[in-house]
Parts: sequence; structure tokens; C-alpha cells
Amino acid sequence: MSDTPLDLWKLNLDESIYVKLRGARSLVGTLQAFDSHCNMVLSDCVETIYSLNSEGMLQNEERKSEMLFVRGDSVTLITTPDEE
Amino acid sequence: MSAVTQETTSASTQFLSDIIGKPVNVKLHSGMLYIGTLESIDGFMNIALSSATEHYENKNNGLINTYNSDVFLRGTQVMYISEA
Repeated sequence: MSDTPLDLWKLNLDESIYVKLRGARSLVGTLQAFDSHCNMVLSDCVETIYSLNSEGMLQNEERKSEMLFVRGDSVTLITTPDEE
Repeated sequence: MSAVTQETTSASTQFLSDIIGKPVNVKLHSGMLYIGTLESIDGFMNIALSSATEHYENKNNGLINTYNSDVFLRGTQVMYISEA
């Protein structure tokens, strides 16, 4: 086995990635840095928070940040965003 | 290390290296189920899947998402991995 799963993301430095977090949240941003704990620094980042409103309908709220440090323990999944 | 622990260690690492390149089910603590081809796995149970699909608890509960690019799953979030 030559490549470990974490090696995958070295190629995505300076590129856009999609990160799924615990608590129905996701991030899309440009990957500036990461480590083996999945701590990450993302730039031009959009956080999407999914929740249910009082009628039980799914709603999402977006927050933008220029630079974001994500603590690795809340990360569940990493992939590249769909280009559509 | 005793003979028994040595045997079980080699059996589990053998299993993990045997299933590389095969279709697998990966369940996370959140209940999300990912089905895809196992690209790589490391000692932390970090997992890389290609052509993955996302389901909740069971494949029969319907498809939530399909990922065209490689998906990284964080080892600490993994509950189990099995051959599909």
C-alpha cells in the first residue's frame, strides 16, 4: 500500500474542497493547510448549517468567512465539491 | 505480545489489506453509510473511497448523495467497515 488516505489531500492544497462536519454542517473553501488530525485552514470559506424550522421543513443558513481554522475532531468527511 | 494477540492483530490487518480495491460498506457513528470502492486505509481507520454513495443506516433507505471524486472518511468517526 503506497498511499494512505491522508496523502490524497496533499494534491488538493490551494484547491476547493468540501468538508462535512458533525452536527449537520458543511464547509466549502480553499484548502490552505491540514494535518494528520484533520485540523484544517480554509480560505474564502462558506459554512452551511442545516436545521429544521418550526414547521419541520429543512432550512439552511450560510455563513462566509475569509479564513477559518477547523478543529479536526468535528470533521467526518472530505471530498472535492461537485462542479455543476 | 502473546501468540493470541499476535494472531488476532495479523488477522485484522490481513482483512484490511485484503479488501483494498473491493466494494465496501463503511458505517459512521452518525449512522451514515458509505458504499464505494476502498482505495486505501491506514492504521487510524482513515478511509478513502472512490465512486461512493451515501445512505442513512441502510442502503434500502434511499440514496442521499453520490460522490464522483474520492471521498475521505475520518478514522475516529468510523464504526465499522465490511465487504459489500
